[in-house]
Amino acid sequence: MAAIKSGALVTLPELQPSSDFFKEGASLRVIGKLQEYSVETAIAVIADQGATLKIDTQHLREIGFRIGSIFQFIGELHIQPNNEAVLQARTGRNIDGIDLDLYYQSLQQLRRFQAEHMKSAAT
Amino acid sequence: MAQQPPSMLNVHVRLLGFSLRSITPSPGCSSVFKLNGKPISRVEVLGVVTSRDCKPNKFLRFTLDDATETITCILWLNHLSSHFFFDRQPGTLRVIADLAKRFADDLQIGEVARVRGNVGSYRGDLQVTVSDVVIESDPNAETLHWLDCISLARLCYFA
Repeated sequence: MAAIKSGALVTLPELQPSSDFFKEGASLRVIGKLQEYSVETAIAVIADQGATLKIDTQHLREIGFRIGSIFQFIGELHIQPNNEAVLQARTGRNIDGIDLDLYYQSLQQLRRFQAEHMKSAAT
Repeated sequence: MAQQPPSMLNVHVRLLGFSLRSITPSPGCSSVFKLNGKPISRVEVLGVVTSRDCKPNKFLRFTLDDATETITCILWLNHLSSHFFFDRQPGTLRVIADLAKRFADDLQIGEVARVRGNVGSYRGDLQVTVSDVVIESDPNAETLHWLDCISLARLCYFA
């Protein structure tokens, strides 16, 4: 398979400093509603279920950052000296119209399915 | 007499990237792989395009990220110059070449693509040789693909 890493599925409330996902360089896939976007810094802030995350979008092109829209980003997490996380996005896209309830339930199903297969592969 | 399960050899098996990683080569046949002991040769995968390396009139190599793994795919663009296709009708070749060019133009980083093709091995790594591409605009396409793959795995592929 390719050397480029897959972005692990994570929800913003799960992305706490105590989480396994909260690591320098971790490849992640996140979704959230766009709260803020600065053209000067290319930093976006997305929110989901009360949690927020800064996204560095400087490598992304041709994306219309509309406040209130839902976006998906894949990229690498960088932990700042003040312990704040910023996702350096490799890809981003508008996913307005996504069924969020179905997404969260499917995410749990997918994790369970992967865990079952890892377990059966190990035995 | 017990009924034999249908063969999956000539169907596009819908797989998540991490399941694709679990397939093993079939001894004596480089184009056939085993998924849980069942022979397969064709797959359907879906994910976000996260890299692309295009050599015009030769190939487009790209990766799909389906949230479980990255999947390497190769789309050949050399239909009009390669000896491999010399036995095909020129008109047919032109159509195939134009289609491949259109697929390559559509496969941009950040797009969600549904890809069908033959699974193979290149320098020890699995890759999908692309035969068909659909760019998905439905924001729920990935979610529904995960559920389809889980359901098919439980009911059919790993039953």
